[in-house]
Amino acid sequence: MSSQVIPALPKTFSSSLDLWREKNDQLVRQAKQLTRDSRPSLRRQQSAQDTLEGLRELLLTLQGLPAAVPALPLELTVLCNCIILRASLVQAFTEDLTQDLQRGLERVLEAQHHLEPKSQQGLKELWHSVLSASSLPPELLPALHCLASLQAVFWMSTDHLEDLTLLLQTLNGSQTQSSEDLLLLLKSWSPPAEESPAPLILQDAESLRDVLLTAFACRQGFQELITGSLPHAQSNLHEAASGLCPPSVLVQVYTALGACLRKMGNPQRALLYLTEALKVGTTCALPLLEASRVYRQLGDRAAELESLELLVEALSATHSSETFKSLIEVELLLPQPDPASPLHCGTQSQAKHLLASRCLQTGRAEDAAEHYLDLLAMLLGGSETRFSPPTSSLGPCIPELCLEAAAALIQAGRALDALTVCEELLNRTSSLLPKMSSLWENARKRAKELPCCPVWVSATHLLQGQAWSQLKAQKEALSEFSQCLELLFRTLPEDKEQGSDCEQKCRSDVALKQLRVAALISRGLEWVASGQDTKALSDFLLSVQICPGNRDGSFYLLQTLKRLDRKNEASAFWREAHSQLPLEDAAGSLPLYLETCLSWIHPPNREAFLEEFGTSVLESCVL
Amino acid sequence: MAGASSRVHYLSDFCCPLGGRAAGKPFVLRHEAEVFLSTGREFVYVYDQEGGLLTAVYQFPDQVWHLQLLAIRRALYVLCARTGIYCLSLDSLDRSGSQACEDKEEAAPPYPVIHVDPDACVLPDAALCAFTVLDDMLVTLAQGPTQWKMQLFERPCAGEEPLPRGQIGEVELSTCTPPGGVPEKPAAPRFLPVLCCVFPPDSRAPHGHPQGCGCFTLEEALFGLLFGVDATLLQSPVILCGLPDGQLCCVVLKALVTSGLAPGDPKVLVKILHHLEEPVIFIGALRAEPHEEEAAGELLPGQHEHSDCLVALGHQGRTLAIKASWSESGNLVPELREYCLPGPVLCAACDRDGHVYHSTPSDLCVVDLTRRDSPWNPEKPDGAIGGLPSVLCPASLNICSALALCVTARAPTGSTELLALSSKGRLITCSLDLNSEAPVPAKMAMANAGQKIKELLLDIGDVSERVSFLKKAVDQRNKAITSLNEAMNVSCALLSHPEGDRPIACTITTSWSRLELRDMLMATCTLENSSSFSLDQGWTLCIQVLTSSSALDLDGTGSAFTYTIPVDRLGPGSRREVTLPLGPSESGVLDLPVTMSCWLFYSLREVVGAALAPSDPLEAPYLEQFPLSLPKQEGVCLPLCKRTVDMLQCLRFAGAATHPAQAPCMPGPACEPVETFLKTCQAPGSEPTGAASLRAKYLPPSTASIRVSAGLLRAALEDSHSGFHLCSATLRWLLAENAAVDVVRAQTLSSIQGIAPDGTDVNLTVHEVAVTDLSPAGPIQAVEIQVESSSLANMCRAHHAIIRRIQTMVTEQAALGSSPPDLRMQYLQQIHANHQELLREVQALRDQLCTEDELSSCSTAQKLLHIYKQLRNPSLVLL
Repeated sequence: MSSQVIPALPKTFSSSLDLWREKNDQLVRQAKQLTRDSRPSLRRQQSAQDTLEGLRELLLTLQGLPAAVPALPLELTVLCNCIILRASLVQAFTEDLTQDLQRGLERVLEAQHHLEPKSQQGLKELWHSVLSASSLPPELLPALHCLASLQAVFWMSTDHLEDLTLLLQTLNGSQTQSSEDLLLLLKSWSPPAEESPAPLILQDAESLRDVLLTAFACRQGFQELITGSLPHAQSNLHEAASGLCPPSVLVQVYTALGACLRKMGNPQRALLYLTEALKVGTTCALPLLEASRVYRQLGDRAAELESLELLVEALSATHSSETFKSLIEVELLLPQPDPASPLHCGTQSQAKHLLASRCLQTGRAEDAAEHYLDLLAMLLGGSETRFSPPTSSLGPCIPELCLEAAAALIQAGRALDALTVCEELLNRTSSLLPKMSSLWENARKRAKELPCCPVWVSATHLLQGQAWSQLKAQKEALSEFSQCLELLFRTLPEDKEQGSDCEQKCRSDVALKQLRVAALISRGLEWVASGQDTKALSDFLLSVQICPGNRDGSFYLLQTLKRLDRKNEASAFWREAHSQLPLEDAAGSLPLYLETCLSWIHPPNREAFLEEFGTSVLESCVL
Repeated sequence: MAGASSRVHYLSDFCCPLGGRAAGKPFVLRHEAEVFLSTGREFVYVYDQEGGLLTAVYQFPDQVWHLQLLAIRRALYVLCARTGIYCLSLDSLDRSGSQACEDKEEAAPPYPVIHVDPDACVLPDAALCAFTVLDDMLVTLAQGPTQWKMQLFERPCAGEEPLPRGQIGEVELSTCTPPGGVPEKPAAPRFLPVLCCVFPPDSRAPHGHPQGCGCFTLEEALFGLLFGVDATLLQSPVILCGLPDGQLCCVVLKALVTSGLAPGDPKVLVKILHHLEEPVIFIGALRAEPHEEEAAGELLPGQHEHSDCLVALGHQGRTLAIKASWSESGNLVPELREYCLPGPVLCAACDRDGHVYHSTPSDLCVVDLTRRDSPWNPEKPDGAIGGLPSVLCPASLNICSALALCVTARAPTGSTELLALSSKGRLITCSLDLNSEAPVPAKMAMANAGQKIKELLLDIGDVSERVSFLKKAVDQRNKAITSLNEAMNVSCALLSHPEGDRPIACTITTSWSRLELRDMLMATCTLENSSSFSLDQGWTLCIQVLTSSSALDLDGTGSAFTYTIPVDRLGPGSRREVTLPLGPSESGVLDLPVTMSCWLFYSLREVVGAALAPSDPLEAPYLEQFPLSLPKQEGVCLPLCKRTVDMLQCLRFAGAATHPAQAPCMPGPACEPVETFLKTCQAPGSEPTGAASLRAKYLPPSTASIRVSAGLLRAALEDSHSGFHLCSATLRWLLAENAAVDVVRAQTLSSIQGIAPDGTDVNLTVHEVAVTDLSPAGPIQAVEIQVESSSLANMCRAHHAIIRRIQTMVTEQAALGSSPPDLRMQYLQQIHANHQELLREVQALRDQLCTEDELSSCSTAQKLLHIYKQLRNPSLVLL
């Protein structure tokens, strides 16, 4: 019972064709109505789903018939409608889209009897054979171009740019054969206009082309901004901004242009773009963050901090509800910015942390302290879960955040508050830390295996010591510094697997060395203050031994030796250390709390003293 | 433990979940006196345990997958498959009676069925698979196209406008396999992920969550160890997630807050704790370390001590327990143990005393994770303290197939009460007193004798239910094995014998009969079982009818049609007849020859598959313990016979027909009864109408002839022709397989007129000739068989049939070694050359035919026909 394909359509077929077209038009109108619908979203989502199902059913009906050229424009249009509605419902392009496209193309080939059975062609080959067929009926072209634009959207979203270029070259025909530039290809592609009685489509090829054009320019621009080819990025972003750009994308594009100009050394022009971005008005977080960077580059601290404050405020507002879209828009084609990108603005607490740390770095200790306290209250207060910690793969972990807060408080002269923060930190984590009793016990017994303790615990003791020292409580300060040193020297964390990433970061050798130096010098200074110069001397000596060439350590050592009148030792040390002196501290890679702490023990007249001492040693040598 | 006494009370009966586990996940939870329960269908029942009656039944648009109660907010959250999360206010339960609408279809249920309004849906999302609700947050897990997606929302309240406004954060978990089925209507996943929320000890306790609701508090050390310093410092709840692929991962809730709709970075937010390598069924926490007596005494009645052990159960029974302990050096280290419990686990629960209850299809077991053998010593100076037991010993509670469990608050007596929903849809409570000794039967008082008997009867009922399940499964397997054995014997018997004397044979005969006013050629297949085995369930007789292509259809390939007839018990010595119509079809066409092949097929799927997948899917878990996989082949195929039906077998003979008046009717495309009637009324000799008959009347009949040497024929027909003239013997041999030829057989005919299936005449004439110029030894005696028909097609078919027979005969004779007589080679070559020439001409003409227009093609066709005619009348003799 071999089935025979009937090449000519019976009369009843054309009337059903009209009926199906009517059905398609009705479903498309229904879908377009949904965008204006203000009903609760469950109902709306359900009707969108129903519309999609209706379209799918219609598609299945059409695909059940032998492929024939008269029915194909309708079939392809229904297919396009299905794909568009589905993609906008799910807000993603899923793998089954390729199957739909493949099926559609195979139907086109089948109708023209070009399809070799059993040949498993990929999408690329299918497009090639469909478009290069000499006898492609002209009535198929509008629907085919629409399908091609959806294919282009899919390939762009999955970064198959080579396939996309090839497709566009074929679509454009011989006009721009040689061009490899996707932007040019997209611009020169003019989808044929539909004839008037064509079945309705949700989004025609031309509008999809415009979406593609803008999306591609954006993607290129963002990528080039990150890779650093700034002039290209600038031209691409201009291209994107001049195209059809939804407001949320326009904000991103203007911000990216601002970042681009900032990096090119045009901060004033950057600010102009950022102002434009703010005027668009959908979201102002991104331009504000970028503005703070521009002001930082300009050295305008007040403006920088003000924009950061505004940023924190902007991020506190919850985002507005989305409206339902039944179309494919530019946002759908833009990749999510990764945390390292200048287009990533992070959460409110991240912004708050940035503000606080900038305050601390720029010497506004009081403001920094306030901001840190706000941040801690937000995070640790517990009542609201609406604030996330500013942890990201780039930022500090929570204990470090507490340490920064404590450092800021000490810097602002609020030692008691700093002590509270530190105590709270140790209290909350006490259950996780090795029991101190067993620690001392093991230390006494000299057990082989020593309990390990995270570095931030030692740092907490260091800051506590600093706070006590600020309160002139020497005894407590000395005990904290000693405990810090004990932990640092005795309980080296060996097991790398236990800590999280951030702990490993602050375990870096440089940071650990600097922490020891800071603790030793701090204790030494405490000894000096209590008049026990010999004890101080040994601490200073140790600090210089740990970190040869450390100028602070050298300064205090020499000063103490001088005060003790041990000039020979001093000059001997000077001669030995002189060669190593140029080595500067590897600042910048240190945690902020440690940097702040080091700034406290930094003697103001260090360089002058060292110079003076050097000349005096030389003189004594000459003598 | 074995002596644990259980008191089982039967509470109520609910419709048992139709379709078993595929239908959804049953769920039971209890708050004070109210029990909320779903059986895996669309209903949620509210049952008042004190009053012992159903208070409300809610009907949802699709299966209910999960329930969670937020008692403090008086709200019940329900996850409905493929729809979203609904929120019902408990306060509205009381006034629900007024707006209840009676379900008309069912015969007046005793309780009102309330159809849940779609507006009660607070979070519409078709992809949701699990959720957990906190005081102010709602965490959901949705299945994306490639990944699991965890989302955090502000907790929506009942009656609130359902908008996706409150999304706070989102993160993607590991990859998942997308659900099968149509993209728009995904099939229900076999296993759903499990979500639960872990609170740090100092946070505001998860009050308002009834026990066993997926929320628990872990003690500090374990919490910090599992989730890290940040979570401890933030005192953030942590979402634990057990995925169907076996992954156990956690997300710190406070870190899940992301900006806008951008999903968070999974590398920072998601931490994988363990991989069970089988679907996670349950996550819970318990107290494994017995607390000090005095500390326990200090606890307020409502205050629970925090759990110190996290437990996760996989589907096949793999169990993970994690505890925090201190290493010798004083460091906090995780103590992690994996156990294997009997699977497959249907559901599980745990109480706070260190007991894990897990239900398999055959039993409900309890295991104890506390280490009761060695009393905990807080002063122990070194070594791990309070470790986990190295082996778990499950103790049976004698309840089978509990689909949902809920451990409820301890009664003041210190016993635990279990609420269970059995696979038959029964809600039962089971109060356990695990610590007490076995009850002493002698001390039974008269007062509770009735109660005791009731309990015993219930126990017996449970056990018998279990026995019947198992028995059914065993029976099914035995049956399948017997059937397989029988099939094996039959296969051996068939394959070890050569064709011809097989113990199970199939013969095919053809005959004409009248069906619905049309003459039909019927084929009768007779399957005869002369073996000592019987063909039973699973055997199918398959008959394939393969028609040759029509001569008119140049590139047609003919068609094949396979009939499959189940052989339902064919015992030794019995036979079965199957009659099939071969044609002609409605249009009067019968494309001869038709090839029929018969074979027997044994379906493994039907026999073994039934035993592997029992009709009640609830019983399937029994068999999952011994996974048997079906072989890749679907069955066994044993060929029986093959037969070709050609024109000679289909000829009818007017003179010999049983009903002479009933001339074979002219089958036309339109078989209107009236027309047929008129046709049958026509006198047998009257003028036939139609193109075929016109052609028959005015065109000279087509002929073909075949010459066979008389010697060859004599040798071949040796046994049958004795007593007959060679010509009539030949004719009889040709028509031997024709059922209608009996009459011919009685006479000695040398010529016969038959009627082809389409009604045209076919004449067969056999006469003896002498071929003179072939052999130098003199004339060769030969028999000429002449075929003549007004229809060219029929003549060809008959010619083909004769040639086929003679071909067979000649090859048989050649095998016997008869030598041909001397031949004049030159003459033979001449004839051969002539034929070659003719064939070339045919080829040329055919090519011409393809390119020419209509007018000239007519003449070409004429020429072609002429040459074919010449070819059909060779002067060669078959020797």
